[in-house]
Amino acid sequence: MRIRLLPVWLLVALALGASAIVSRPGASYARQDREHPLAGASLTHPAGADALGRDRLVRVSAALLLSLAGALAASALTTAAAAGIGAWAAFAVPGVAWLMMLVCDVFLALPWLFLLMMVRSALPLRASPAHSAVITFLVLAALGWPACARAVYRGALGLKRADWMMQARASGMRGKQLIRQVLPNLLPLLLPQFLVCVPAFVIAEANLGALGLGIGEPLPSWGGMLLELDNSALLFRTQWVYFPVVLLILVLLLLEAILVEA
Amino acid sequence: MRMGRLAPGFLLAMLAATVAKYCIAQVPARLPGELAWTIGYDPKTFDPAKVDDIDSETVRYLTAGVLLRFNRLTQKLEPRLAESWNLSPDGRTITFKLRGGLRFSDGAALTARDAAWSIQRVLLPAAGAPVAEEFVAPASVHVDAPNSQTVVVRLPQRVAGIGKVFDEIAIEPANRPSEGHVTSGPFYVAEYQRSQFVRLRRNPYYGERDGSGAALPRASGVLLDIVENPEERIRLFSRGESDLIDQLSSEYYEMLRQKAPGSVRDLGPSLNTEQIWFNQAPASPLPAWEEAWFRNQSFRVAVSQAIQRDDLVRLVYLGHATPAYSFISPANADWYNRRLAAPHSDLAAAQDGLRRAGFRMEGTHLLDAAGHPVKFSILTNAGNDARLKMATLIQQDLAAVGMQVNVVTLDFPALIERLMHTQDYEACLLGLENVDVDPNEMMNIWLSSSPNHQWNPAEKTPATAWEAEIDKEMNLQATSQKDAVRKQAVDRVQQIVTDEEPFIYLVYPNVLAAISPRLAGAQPAVIEPELWWNVEDLRLRRTR
Repeated sequence: MRIRLLPVWLLVALALGASAIVSRPGASYARQDREHPLAGASLTHPAGADALGRDRLVRVSAALLLSLAGALAASALTTAAAAGIGAWAAFAVPGVAWLMMLVCDVFLALPWLFLLMMVRSALPLRASPAHSAVITFLVLAALGWPACARAVYRGALGLKRADWMMQARASGMRGKQLIRQVLPNLLPLLLPQFLVCVPAFVIAEANLGALGLGIGEPLPSWGGMLLELDNSALLFRTQWVYFPVVLLILVLLLLEAILVEA
Repeated sequence: MRMGRLAPGFLLAMLAATVAKYCIAQVPARLPGELAWTIGYDPKTFDPAKVDDIDSETVRYLTAGVLLRFNRLTQKLEPRLAESWNLSPDGRTITFKLRGGLRFSDGAALTARDAAWSIQRVLLPAAGAPVAEEFVAPASVHVDAPNSQTVVVRLPQRVAGIGKVFDEIAIEPANRPSEGHVTSGPFYVAEYQRSQFVRLRRNPYYGERDGSGAALPRASGVLLDIVENPEERIRLFSRGESDLIDQLSSEYYEMLRQKAPGSVRDLGPSLNTEQIWFNQAPASPLPAWEEAWFRNQSFRVAVSQAIQRDDLVRLVYLGHATPAYSFISPANADWYNRRLAAPHSDLAAAQDGLRRAGFRMEGTHLLDAAGHPVKFSILTNAGNDARLKMATLIQQDLAAVGMQVNVVTLDFPALIERLMHTQDYEACLLGLENVDVDPNEMMNIWLSSSPNHQWNPAEKTPATAWEAEIDKEMNLQATSQKDAVRKQAVDRVQQIVTDEEPFIYLVYPNVLAAISPRLAGAQPAVIEPELWWNVEDLRLRRTR
């Protein structure tokens, strides 16, 4: 049991470590030490500094926390929406169910990256960096529910046709009473859906950031830091530009391991 | 959105992309005496009259025979196919006298009839030639060939810097355009493999000779490899498969400088500018108090003074840029105003200016006279690392005077939609690429009636007295026949722009290039094409 929970504990330890680094007195992800751009590792900057002299360790830690918190919240939202829509469709009359699943399929067929870019470009420009982060993850959650809803729909449909459900309905159970019985039975389906969405949203945010369309400066984002890897000349100057991508892969592996164990 | 088995898939995709990047690119074998360098994309056209992209422009420059050539080093016009040329006192009639014995690359004779036909062709609306616009009223231009060696071009009105336009018009065989296969320039198009390369061969009938009488061009041909990836370009250069790289970024310049110090050149400031401006358009949906800030000259000057341009140069361009205070670069020797009085970076002066303009500090925030916190966004295009860094540095610079700035990056179509149509933005950071030294080329930016007058496009009448004065001076420089009057008018516009700061100029990025030590004859200049403007003189020191 302990070994199975190891990825969770490691991820929690990473998040706690990142929180400690970010909340350290004097730590700032935005402060520019303009005299020391691309500085190597030192006591002041344990993972060096970026091209504008900002502490890379603090920025990577903040990006990790932001990405994880945002992805977890967005996954919770998208899973809740998918649970509601999937369960509703399963218990609705067949025509409504068909229409709802058609909407899901249309959403699934959309080129989501371009959709994200369109939505992002239409947002108000005065949104602060923190707001831009919230909006980015809200947009991800708003676009992420259809696949999950389809899975929930199939699961809820199975429950609807189960013998115990037939018996419950025959006994006169309706509405909220039925939902109270159905939701706990959907949990084994919702948890993996939730866990699948978390790394997907982490990657989606990093993709947007790498296109320069994610979270606004000076808030750090994984995508923004991965942009440094696009420039081999920068790799030539400091190896610390690999640090964000190494951490990103580690987090994704841990999330993958948690998903497998679940 | 579903991404099962994410991490291994992500790693495999990265690995596959890397393998593809390094292994698939194939470079054709170079022929003896052939020069080689890279272009970014397939040329859209080989028809010299229809060129409007940089890669087609490269092929046109290398293959086109022109009446006059603009020497990028001396910034003066020199005769090429024309032995001499003459501009009438009223500036409306240009007479070219062609050299004797001219031939096209297929051996056919080149006469004034061919030259007249080529000029007429680019003037026809059906050709859609971008160069036609430079004649101002192309439909009213008359071209005659009174004899086999004389071409007369009559303009309906004087056009400033008209001589340089003929540097862009390729003389082709009359009535048989060949898309670069038959040319009167140093090379002709011999082979083209889509997405791979364009091969140019030496024109055996090119009549130019160097000072010692040797036939030009010196090289047997030019191989233009089509390579989109800048890192691949660096690799080809390092392997000796490419002889030069133009428009190097400062990071790659520094990398090459460490590997091969003798191969890189910093040619100093380019003609290009990077600038920031505030939206002053009355049609914008901005609140009235923001419009008032942006129309306030003291506010704009204070922003300019608060920006630490030296830091932009040092951190963003690694020292390979020059702080900018005017729309004309010091590289533009004839037109730069060397007596320009510009408000340089000065934080105390910025704070003082804001205070005198009615702004006040409350804690760390700047408020206007009505108590509105000074907060705005700077828009720039996504994917441009230098601009994002500059915006982030400016964000911190302006925080020092209490301004809260959001940096917003948008993809280019979304950015243009806001700039040109909805005008829903507060400030914008972009660059302007100048390919011509003559300020007449910038009329579309400075005339208040122009849709490209970015801070307040398409004004019906000038919104301010200083914009009216810019209109007057720019029109004067466009119509005056005296160079001194033109220079005086352009100097005045530079001073007005520096005083009023509708554009807050940030830097002139330097021209950075790499030239192989094996390449002889290179005389790099800051005007495009910087490295091979004198391609006739380029040759390899040792043929492989």
